[in-house]
Amino acid sequence: MLASIPAVYVAPFDRAWRNRELIRAVVRRELISRFSGSALGPLWAVLAPLFMLLTYTALFSITVPQLSAGVTVTDYASSIFIGLIVFNLFSELAYRAPMLLHEHVNFVKKSIFPSETIAWTATIRAFTYAGVAFAVYIVFRLLTAGSIPPTIVLAPFLIAPFFLFMLGVVWFLMALGAFTRDVAHIMASVVPMLMFATPIFYRIDQIREISRSAAVWLRFNIVGDYIEMLRDLALDGNMPNIFAYLGIVAVSYAVFIGGYQFFMRYKSVIVDVI
Amino acid sequence: MSSEFAIRCGGVGKAFQLYAHQNDQLKQILFGLWKKFYREKWVLNDVNFTVQRGERVGIVGRNGAGKTTLLQILCGITQPTKGEFEIEGRIAPILALGSGFDGLLTGRENARIGAAILGLSRKEVDACIEDIAAFADIGPFFEQPMRIYSVGMIARVAFAICAHAQADVLIVDEALSVGDEIFQKKCENYISEFAKTGTILIVSHSLEFLKKLCTRVLWLENGVVREIGDPAKVIAHYRAAMKAEQGQKIAWR
Repeated sequence: MLASIPAVYVAPFDRAWRNRELIRAVVRRELISRFSGSALGPLWAVLAPLFMLLTYTALFSITVPQLSAGVTVTDYASSIFIGLIVFNLFSELAYRAPMLLHEHVNFVKKSIFPSETIAWTATIRAFTYAGVAFAVYIVFRLLTAGSIPPTIVLAPFLIAPFFLFMLGVVWFLMALGAFTRDVAHIMASVVPMLMFATPIFYRIDQIREISRSAAVWLRFNIVGDYIEMLRDLALDGNMPNIFAYLGIVAVSYAVFIGGYQFFMRYKSVIVDVI
Repeated sequence: MSSEFAIRCGGVGKAFQLYAHQNDQLKQILFGLWKKFYREKWVLNDVNFTVQRGERVGIVGRNGAGKTTLLQILCGITQPTKGEFEIEGRIAPILALGSGFDGLLTGRENARIGAAILGLSRKEVDACIEDIAAFADIGPFFEQPMRIYSVGMIARVAFAICAHAQADVLIVDEALSVGDEIFQKKCENYISEFAKTGTILIVSHSLEFLKKLCTRVLWLENGVVREIGDPAKVIAHYRAAMKAEQGQKIAWR
């Protein structure tokens, strides 16, 4: 059954499966070491998104800017929160990825460590935190709105391709970052720019009312598409456009495979340059 | 049987790319097809040898002769520029003791990760973690964060992990000199014990130890195999060469 699929499309999964024990051990280490030495420990994973959510709700219940016109304060805060969960996930990895190999230089140069698994552990870690934040969102939504749309059960179908997309991005940035430290600086200026080109504080529909062409351009931002679709499922209870969905799944998969191949191609060179 | 080899190295060579500028590396990736941005430095050139299963081969050579690079290639950490090599069985490299540890985690947690890197499954780790603790023999420190360890204690944990990796081929790079006498003795005992069943490739500057342990010694000089064979003979030649050079250097002054 699997034999009919060309090896190139499953190679990354095959490698990860063979190293699953290692990935699990390193993810465990990263999760433990992030909170070891703090009194509240893992509670911070819940508290950080909770404070963020409360801040935005408070802010917008006082100011209620034009952007939130037509929706209630909690709806608007929820909408922003979903946007921020996804975008923070993206920006955390985009900032960290170029430095990942430098951080793990001892692993890479002095032990038989399969360096491509670093992308898996970093991405799994980031998704774990985002998952906790998403759980906070669900509780918040249940408390303030009293119900949550049933379409939320489809969220994993969005999260899985987004995970692959981020893995591809991390592999690509990791390899580039090993050759020149400029990549980290570039990300530091590009990510804030991207933040405003992503529908976090607004929604694509609102842009469309102002300018149709701008809305079309914004659709090219994959992260924004994921945010909009997640809002459809977890906030509005709408089904996303199936063609748009299949489109971003295809693009995400291409990024995933492309990033992996890029990394593996330069893997042997990277050991000598970092 | 003579046909059962553990390590086979055929014409292995390694050239490092020396860049005048850090960013030339990126330029090389982008425009490498049109222009060369680096100078080549061959640290290994046409290295040929075969190690039979159960052999204990020592490697000697001065600093910069390519010993560590050769071991790194055999472990699969870096790739040879030319030539090919084969290794039969699972390898446990003891290259730089304790380099991959996280200071915030306890010795036990680090040992679990270290064992996973060497390819042990969780079940296997569960089975041998107590043995690792006993071998490292650092008492209650095993449950403490590693940042408070001394260098020797880190080395103990690192060696204990490798000793329990159930490897077929042990690749050791001059790393045993940090432990105290008791632990060094323990390591040497372990290596001698391992030698009964497995294959060993060991780099060391303690020539007496190699003479005692090894069945053959390989002398690496300027990236090529200068001599390989009976330990006593090769080491004697190596010593003579070192001495002659020392004499020359003194004479120049």
